[in-house]
Amino acid sequence: MARDRTITCKVNGRAYEKSVPVRQSLADFLRDTLSLTGTHLGCEHGVCGACTVLMNGRSVRSCLTLAVQADETDIVTIEGLRSDSGEWHQIQKSFHENFGLQCGYCTPGFLITAIELLEENPDPTENEVREALSGNICRCSGYSAIVTAVMAAARDMLELQKT
Amino acid sequence: MRFSNEKIVGTSVLPDEAIPLLEGEGRFINDISFSGMYHVAFLRSQYAHARLVSVDTEAARAMPGVIKVMTGAELAGKVEPFRSMPNRFSGGESVQHWLAVDKVRFCGEAICAVVAEDRATAEDAVDLIEVDYDPLPVVTKAREGEMDDAPRIHDECANNHLIKREYERGEVDEAFANAHAVVERSFHIGRKQAMCLEGRGCVAAFRQGSFKLSVWMSHQLPYVVRHYLAKHLKLGETDVRVIAAQTGGGFGQKASIYPEEFLCSYLALQLRRPIKWVEDRLENMVASTHARENDVELKIAFDKDGHILALDSDIWADVGAYSTYLWSAGMEPLQIAGLMPGPYKVPAMRYVTRGVATNKTPVGPYRAVGRPTASTSLELLLDDAARQLGMDPVELRKRNLITADLMPYRNANNLLHDHVNYEACLDLSAAKANYQKLREGQESAAPNGKLRGIGVACFAELTGLGTSTAVGPGTLLQPGRDAVTLRLETSGALTIAAALPSQGQRIATAMCQVAADELGMKLEDVNCVTNDTAMAPYGFGTFASRTAVFGSGAVIKAAQELRERLLALGAHLLETPKEELGIVDSAIQTLDRSKSISLANLAEQSFFSAKHIPDELNQGFEITSFYDPKFGSFAAGAHTVVVDVDPETGDVEIVRYVAVEDVGRVINPAVVEGQIIGGIAQGIGEALLEELIYDEDGQPRTVTLADYLVPSSMEIPKIELHHANTPSGAIGGFKGCGEGSIIGAVGAIACAINDALSRKGGDLRAFPATPERVLRALNVEMRDA
Repeated sequence: MARDRTITCKVNGRAYEKSVPVRQSLADFLRDTLSLTGTHLGCEHGVCGACTVLMNGRSVRSCLTLAVQADETDIVTIEGLRSDSGEWHQIQKSFHENFGLQCGYCTPGFLITAIELLEENPDPTENEVREALSGNICRCSGYSAIVTAVMAAARDMLELQKT
Repeated sequence: MRFSNEKIVGTSVLPDEAIPLLEGEGRFINDISFSGMYHVAFLRSQYAHARLVSVDTEAARAMPGVIKVMTGAELAGKVEPFRSMPNRFSGGESVQHWLAVDKVRFCGEAICAVVAEDRATAEDAVDLIEVDYDPLPVVTKAREGEMDDAPRIHDECANNHLIKREYERGEVDEAFANAHAVVERSFHIGRKQAMCLEGRGCVAAFRQGSFKLSVWMSHQLPYVVRHYLAKHLKLGETDVRVIAAQTGGGFGQKASIYPEEFLCSYLALQLRRPIKWVEDRLENMVASTHARENDVELKIAFDKDGHILALDSDIWADVGAYSTYLWSAGMEPLQIAGLMPGPYKVPAMRYVTRGVATNKTPVGPYRAVGRPTASTSLELLLDDAARQLGMDPVELRKRNLITADLMPYRNANNLLHDHVNYEACLDLSAAKANYQKLREGQESAAPNGKLRGIGVACFAELTGLGTSTAVGPGTLLQPGRDAVTLRLETSGALTIAAALPSQGQRIATAMCQVAADELGMKLEDVNCVTNDTAMAPYGFGTFASRTAVFGSGAVIKAAQELRERLLALGAHLLETPKEELGIVDSAIQTLDRSKSISLANLAEQSFFSAKHIPDELNQGFEITSFYDPKFGSFAAGAHTVVVDVDPETGDVEIVRYVAVEDVGRVINPAVVEGQIIGGIAQGIGEALLEELIYDEDGQPRTVTLADYLVPSSMEIPKIELHHANTPSGAIGGFKGCGEGSIIGAVGAIACAINDALSRKGGDLRAFPATPERVLRALNVEMRDA
């Protein structure tokens, strides 16, 4: 069996064609091959959620996804959240303004998970936010500020849509 | 004050430190790479206790891409192993080789290091190493390990007592003989760990010339690491630079010195290549220090009014296979025993405490070392006493708290209580929780046959320890002095340099806020580096809730001196008496603002156009000040928790959580709130979920985050946080706030659970309160599967 395969994919809007070892995880591909080290590995067995990225708009654990599975997909990582003009995504602003991070290691996964939630449910209750974030571990914050940040982002995004 | 800035201390300034983290540019240790860098993976022991008969590395060495395979036998004699730090109360010595020599003493101990061109190859090669083990009998419990016939883990350590201390003060026997009531209780807390989301790791790089060895490390104490790296590798201290990289959580786990990073540094020197090692989660769960796992037998004598007369405790701490380097094995056993009285008046006390070596991962410092065990066992006993004496638990506590009018008050553990108000915390907690009403409605409140329990716990947390109070009791390691350098750059910006790295506490932001206030500078003109021994003056680092106290104190001292220098030069340049000048918005000006010079202008002139400036006024705008607060500052709190226990399933639900904290003068309220709530969350984990389990062979059964449960967003309730702050006696009135809340959380939750269980005659003596333990405490019959 071939040890390497060539994949084509789009990451943060940029097209790539790369040869990858078939055993390489998507996380290692993003971090080591593309130097996108904003995606963090916390457990490498799919529990902590720090490595969560968007693949075709859905959140995936990049530690449990193989790089070859990313063939012909569209990936978004934390590095791709800013707009073309360099503006922060509302969720980044909201995490900052609400002190939604401490050590910041889990933050990329929370941002991505929150973005997926707000795409599906733009006006979530606090309970729905907690439920949606329950697959991501934060060891520093006790989640309170994170939940507040996601609720605030939802409000701000709804406001923006109205205007 | 004639010149007043709007105070920045006390406001929730948004931290610039968070910005790179929100953009994916944090550059944690695993994000740092150099060309030509090699990667390390470790072969770790599969046995808890065994002789190494043979280690065959031939196949690994032959694998393409493998650079080197290092064994313990090859390393022995070339570097200094970790001998247990001398401790006045040590029972015997442990010697930890960086790679095991002859014997392994816990599952996960490093045996070989493989250096390869990439991590995957290094891991593949590890699988090719053949180790022949000769298993030895194991010790997995402290109370069994101290028996005369128990297997010995270290030849030089009888009864496996790495630590043993006996202490007595006051008339203990007399108090028990004359007591109205004597209440006894046993307490057990399981083994847990910090579970930083980022594991440990390092990148070590060699170059010939100055700074021969640079090490980027995920660590809390860069200067201490530098000192010991130089010592163990026989380098000059000035040849070593240590940079604490962006760190993904510490909580004490990254405050100890471990073999892996030191070995990587040695390999970097040997191979003359950058070397990277980053712990994976499995390694982190077996090779980074654990915490807790304590047994307490506690006995307290009371008079008829519920006053404590004397306290007598027997303590066993399972400290794992080796005395954790630098801190010794004394952290848990000595602090549990010594800090047992907490905020309560204890006229006489006695204890026997032991740190017993077992064939498990070494135990090191973790958030609030020892205090959750001490506090929770005491708080549970106070509830027992209240029941026996027919008193309300809050009233019993009020009668025993050290009140402000008694301070300074020296307790039987020799600690001096001052500048703290325990009673105010308890009163506010009871008021905010509407405690009386909670009690009155307790019977009817719980739905569906659940048992409602109310727990109130008070705690004292000694923070910001100066040289007169030990962080590592009994050891030579007495941190208590830290320095800060303030430097006005030629642009007029201020750089604060300190060796007080952040693991998420926004330390740089806090120091910038303090400096801006002291110097009259705009916050955006102030910057702070906290992590690099090549840039910062001496400092012990970040641990033991000390950094806000030390960093701010030193900033204030240095700022006072810098301010004088700036005003002296300003007076010369503005041709105005110094007394008529102040610094506002980063400019020196007269009160009526008729004359003004910006610090940018002054700084630039002082360096680039100094011809007309008298030499004595131009001695540089860089000041280093040391600060030693001598004693610690007591922070405090009182937490009130309401739980519903389901007697069918054993599930515990926290339905209300009210925390009141005294954290002194607050620098950044939102940051402080994050610290407190984060500590409570770890306390909820400690009380209900988190336990590292070993089987009788010393095999760890909890090695993934699927087996070891940390709280998710679903397990942490809304925390109602209130403050009853009293300024400390330290410069600026600051206290530490990183650890206290975990103490109150474990205590209050444990008390609430037992309050609930007591209604059905249940009593829980071992924690965390897993459903199984709760059901057993209620005598529910369970078929053991």
